[in-house]
Amino acid sequence: MHLPIKLTACAVLAFTTAATAQEVTVASWGGSYQDAQSKAMFQPTAKELGITVKEATLSGLADIRLQVRSGAVEWDVVDLGATDCAIGAREGLFEKLDYSVIDAQGIDDKMVKDHWIGVIYYSTVPAWNTATVKDGPQSWADFWNVKDFPGDRSLRNRPQVMLEMALLADGVAPKDLYPLDVDRAFAKIEELKPDIATWWESGAQSVQLAKDGEIDMIAAWDGRLSAAIADKAAIDFTYNEGLLNADCLAVPKGAPNKELAMKAIAKFVSPEQQATLTQHISYGPVNVRAFETGLIPEEAQGKINTFPANLEKQIVVDAEWWGENGNRMRERWDSMIQR
Amino acid sequence: MACSITIRDVRKTYGQFVALDSVALDIAPGEFLTLLGPSGSGKTTLLMILAGFIRPEAGSITVDSDEILRKPPHLRNIGMVFQNYALFPHMSVGENVGYPLKLRKVGAAERYERAREALKLVQLDHLMDRRINQLSGGQRQRVALARAIVFEPQILLMDEPLSALDKKLREQMQIELKHLHDRLGMTTVYVTHDQREALTMSDRVAVMNHGHILQVAPPREIYERPCDRFVADFVGESNFLPVEMRGDAATFGGAPLQLAEGQSAGSGNKALLVRPEKLDILGATPAPEHNPIDGTVEELVYQGETMLIYVTLTSGETIALRRGTRQQALSEMPRVGEPIRLGLHRDDTVLIDEAAHA
Amino acid sequence: MHDMTAPQGGHALNRKELAADERREKRQILGLSLPAAAIILVLLVIPVGWLFALSFVSNGEIGLANYTRMIEYSAYLSIFSTTILISLFVTLLCIVLGYPVAYLLGQMPPRLATIGLAFVIIPFWTSILVRTYAWLVILQRQGIVNDALIGIGLIDEPLRLAHNLTGTVIGMTHVMLPFLVLPLYATVRNIDGDLMRAANNMGASPARAFRDVFLPLSMPGLIAGSLLVFILCLGFYVTPQILGGGRVIMVSMKIQQNVQTYFDWGAGSALGVVLLLIVFAIFYLVHRLAGLDRIFAR
Repeated sequence: MHLPIKLTACAVLAFTTAATAQEVTVASWGGSYQDAQSKAMFQPTAKELGITVKEATLSGLADIRLQVRSGAVEWDVVDLGATDCAIGAREGLFEKLDYSVIDAQGIDDKMVKDHWIGVIYYSTVPAWNTATVKDGPQSWADFWNVKDFPGDRSLRNRPQVMLEMALLADGVAPKDLYPLDVDRAFAKIEELKPDIATWWESGAQSVQLAKDGEIDMIAAWDGRLSAAIADKAAIDFTYNEGLLNADCLAVPKGAPNKELAMKAIAKFVSPEQQATLTQHISYGPVNVRAFETGLIPEEAQGKINTFPANLEKQIVVDAEWWGENGNRMRERWDSMIQR
Repeated sequence: MACSITIRDVRKTYGQFVALDSVALDIAPGEFLTLLGPSGSGKTTLLMILAGFIRPEAGSITVDSDEILRKPPHLRNIGMVFQNYALFPHMSVGENVGYPLKLRKVGAAERYERAREALKLVQLDHLMDRRINQLSGGQRQRVALARAIVFEPQILLMDEPLSALDKKLREQMQIELKHLHDRLGMTTVYVTHDQREALTMSDRVAVMNHGHILQVAPPREIYERPCDRFVADFVGESNFLPVEMRGDAATFGGAPLQLAEGQSAGSGNKALLVRPEKLDILGATPAPEHNPIDGTVEELVYQGETMLIYVTLTSGETIALRRGTRQQALSEMPRVGEPIRLGLHRDDTVLIDEAAHA
Repeated sequence: MHDMTAPQGGHALNRKELAADERREKRQILGLSLPAAAIILVLLVIPVGWLFALSFVSNGEIGLANYTRMIEYSAYLSIFSTTILISLFVTLLCIVLGYPVAYLLGQMPPRLATIGLAFVIIPFWTSILVRTYAWLVILQRQGIVNDALIGIGLIDEPLRLAHNLTGTVIGMTHVMLPFLVLPLYATVRNIDGDLMRAANNMGASPARAFRDVFLPLSMPGLIAGSLLVFILCLGFYVTPQILGGGRVIMVSMKIQQNVQTYFDWGAGSALGVVLLLIVFAIFYLVHRLAGLDRIFAR
């Protein structure tokens, strides 16, 4: 049973090694996100390093856990949500990153860790339907203020980011956010619960709710919102108190081309490739030096969540804290929703 | 206690099809009347109208001068035995029979007693706790009967209740039903397509065809003096022979027909009705009261209790006659191919109008 | 002596051969049932056994962690009770809406009934996802129903019909209705019309006849259909996920969440095992009350 597969694998390996000297396999989330990554990062990197970059798609940390635990690691670089990276690192699923190869200058410390590094930012921001709401909430405190900002609300059906949001609304200073005061956060969310018409599940759904006027105010992702606004949806949002979360890159433990993976990651987080990515998809570069490359047009810069003027209004979510407490929070969250 | 039923001008059509064409019928109190006819003759339609399951377009049905046509079925207080018995499979025998009493708010103890009484009438009181699917066909028939009479309705309707039973059981049940009717005396309307059943059980038989009642008479009259060719043909076995009319006298095979006293040939086309059992074999001895019929023996069919002899007449028709099978009769049987002279007694000579149902 | 030998020889005649034929026939019948048995083993017994085994594994360790979690957090109890209550309610609604439909179809002439039945079955041809989204369009704040009600001035503020329990129940009832109507119709169709006529004739009003005769006789179909609907409801995912607005969490959704949250099949398997046990318990209860053998062996 095992033998033929091994033989085939050997044959394929022999063939590919013969064809090109070096290759690296990158697994990401598919769809428009991976298309953009491919154009801005994977293909240029292949050209610049003279290697082959093979692409794969994954569906989450479980895939990596399976590969690492079974000792059959196929991927060299994986793209995950920052929290998953934090969890994976704690489980020992990743190789240590080689920061002698990767230049992390220009990237927030919260996104540069021993076993993973941020790659893009997305922000959870207060948004509103311009057809039903004249003056939208300019902070989470406004979002929670149902008297002055009447209307149906929607939050994501996850504790992550929502707890930060609640604490900010309750007057906690951004610098004092972590470790989260969980009880206080849940109490604040309970307070808004009667005005929450829908707890949204998917990004597509969140935009649909805002666009259709099903709700009046929503905490949603800036990239999705920007795309909808570009499509003339009656939506507006502010970066005030936006909560930045990242996707990250990591190297699964036992990756076949570890050294090359480091080189590839170095390229992916370089200011140039980071800048190019913004032209293909509305996510923010983790590397602020991207704005210095001149590759992002002046008028586009203001719309990017990590543009310095926007960045200073926002708060970066602590993935490590969530990696540690995520599951407990999720159970508590579900109990809260059910009541 | 029993009541009369008067049916007037009852009409029912299904689109172009006329199921009942202005039917009128009087049923005497306590009478056992059978509606006899082929399928599609309207007999079941008439029964269903009586029960209230079919609404006619027009007409009147009175029970003791009480108009019932506009009463819903459950207020008519008429008992009915259905063709497939319609016993409730989720109730025991006792519960089935007790059900009409339960509807009449009879207490449990009395209900049980009366259900047992009714079942006793049909000799099934020992099966009260059985489930319906544990009963044989004949037993189910009796339970259905007990259920239909337990609430002592003044009218009992039966829709081919014996058709699902085998021949022996059927014949036994016919007699039982008749006895039961004699004891209970309720006005009974019985539907069947089996002419023997009709003759066996009824006080009177109404023969139906194409939505009409053709003849209403006691069984004997229906058989012996049918009013037209359809009735004669449908009830019993019959040979029809052409008759020549000369004035108001009829001749058959050149010889004038002797008729029973009180019968006259009348006018119009007539046929001679000859029932197989009415024919005699004439020997050399002259029989002045018989109308002679000559022919050749064609075929002999042995049927157990009787023997059927097919005879081809000189005029070309083939008729059948029936003889008993006592040894002496068998030894005197004619042989195939032999000439034979048959005789029809003048009292058995019946003329049928040909025009009515040509 | 002569008379004795003849019958003895008769008893032995072809005896072995006929017995062999009998055995061969039995083997053939057994052989025919083998594929079915194999399918049940592969598609049912093995996966359920695997599921059961996995539920005792958490983070690569064997233990009861996946079960203790259910006691630890109040969410689980309320998720199970919500799931059962919603399923019961949807089943009840399906009975209320589906019984008249099945009854009517049963009374129709067969050709007409077939057409009516087609209308019941046609929704099966569309995916549950599509039907559920259709309900979202109909029920949402600016959906057809609210627009119409506001249009005719019946209400001023839109009703909250979607993104909550109301929407979930409406959507699930719509999806489940055929599962009740079909088995019920099959039973109702076979109820002899003469039984109702007989009851009428004996003095039962139509309503009384229905109660005493039709309803009890339709029970096997009604119980089978209700059981089918109820058990399918217990495992429902798509409709509450889309129409529940996040606040209606059913067991299946929690299973999915747990797999996502804990990156571990065991966390979901344990929920599946508990759900399965609940289903067994319900079957047992119905069996004790109504006799499943009677319902399904009819």
